[in-house]
Amino acid sequence: MAFLEWLQHLPIFVTIAESGSIWGYPTILVLHTVGFVFVVGSALIVNARLLGLGRLAPLSEFGLLFPIMWAGFTVNAISGFILFAIAATAKAAQAIFWIKLSLVAMALVVTVPIARIVKGAGEHDAVPARGRVLAVMSLVAWTGAIVAGRLMAYIK
Amino acid sequence: MPVEAFARYLQSTSVSLFLQSQSAWLWPLSETVHFIGLALLIGATGFFDLRLLGFMKRVPLTVARQFMPLALLGFGLNLTTGILFFVAQPYQYVVNWAWWGKVAFLLVAGFNAMFFETTQGARVLAIGAGDDTPLIFKVVGALSLLAWFAVLYFGRMLPFFA
Repeated sequence: MAFLEWLQHLPIFVTIAESGSIWGYPTILVLHTVGFVFVVGSALIVNARLLGLGRLAPLSEFGLLFPIMWAGFTVNAISGFILFAIAATAKAAQAIFWIKLSLVAMALVVTVPIARIVKGAGEHDAVPARGRVLAVMSLVAWTGAIVAGRLMAYIK
Repeated sequence: MPVEAFARYLQSTSVSLFLQSQSAWLWPLSETVHFIGLALLIGATGFFDLRLLGFMKRVPLTVARQFMPLALLGFGLNLTTGILFFVAQPYQYVVNWAWWGKVAFLLVAGFNAMFFETTQGARVLAIGAGDDTPLIFKVVGALSLLAWFAVLYFGRMLPFFA
């Protein structure tokens, strides 16, 4: 596709791909891994709480993890776009890349109502059944995204 | 270097040769498990560290500690897959200084956690909902976060310092 060709030949992405500096491609990968831990690490704790772990602590207090999640997501949207752009035609041709993107989108769609349930919970509110279902969906989607993301290095 | 000689020997053993011969499926699987373990390990440890630092005060410290089995599960997965990677290709790791950086910060994280559990473990019970944490808890929490993210950094950088 002409657009993908144009994108990966932009000077900034050519520089990142070919510089050979540890501040180029390797650092983008590190940022993508740090962002991943922020997002999935926080989601894991929130989901574990929704599924019954640590229920003696008020649910709404776990709302403080969402800013970490969104910060990680912002880092990964940007670093992920760069990783895509430096090899746009190759990545776009990988089915596993689109599977990963779909799973991330699914996880995000599930995170919005989860955030609403957690932040809106009263001091002694129990977790609604819907919260447990959403927690399982979130865990499945993030695990799938990790598997698909890792397999991008192997399934060309 | 005796370490390099040991790595060469290990790499020639039948266990190592077997793992090398299975790498086509064993590598993708183990790397995926290593990433899932990473999220479990730093997710749960980081949560406890943030409470040690004084965030999320309405979570009693004993309740924050209930999430630590997730971290131990992640550590178990990553120790297992990590040993597998090492036994299969020991030489490429011992000549890579990023690997030594990773091992060094693993030791920092480990000794920090052991120091906390053995000398401060009993004081955890006293930190209830709404309570701030003593300075030593904050130092341990900050050092733990620093050490684990350093482990992540050197681990992710392994292919680039070879």
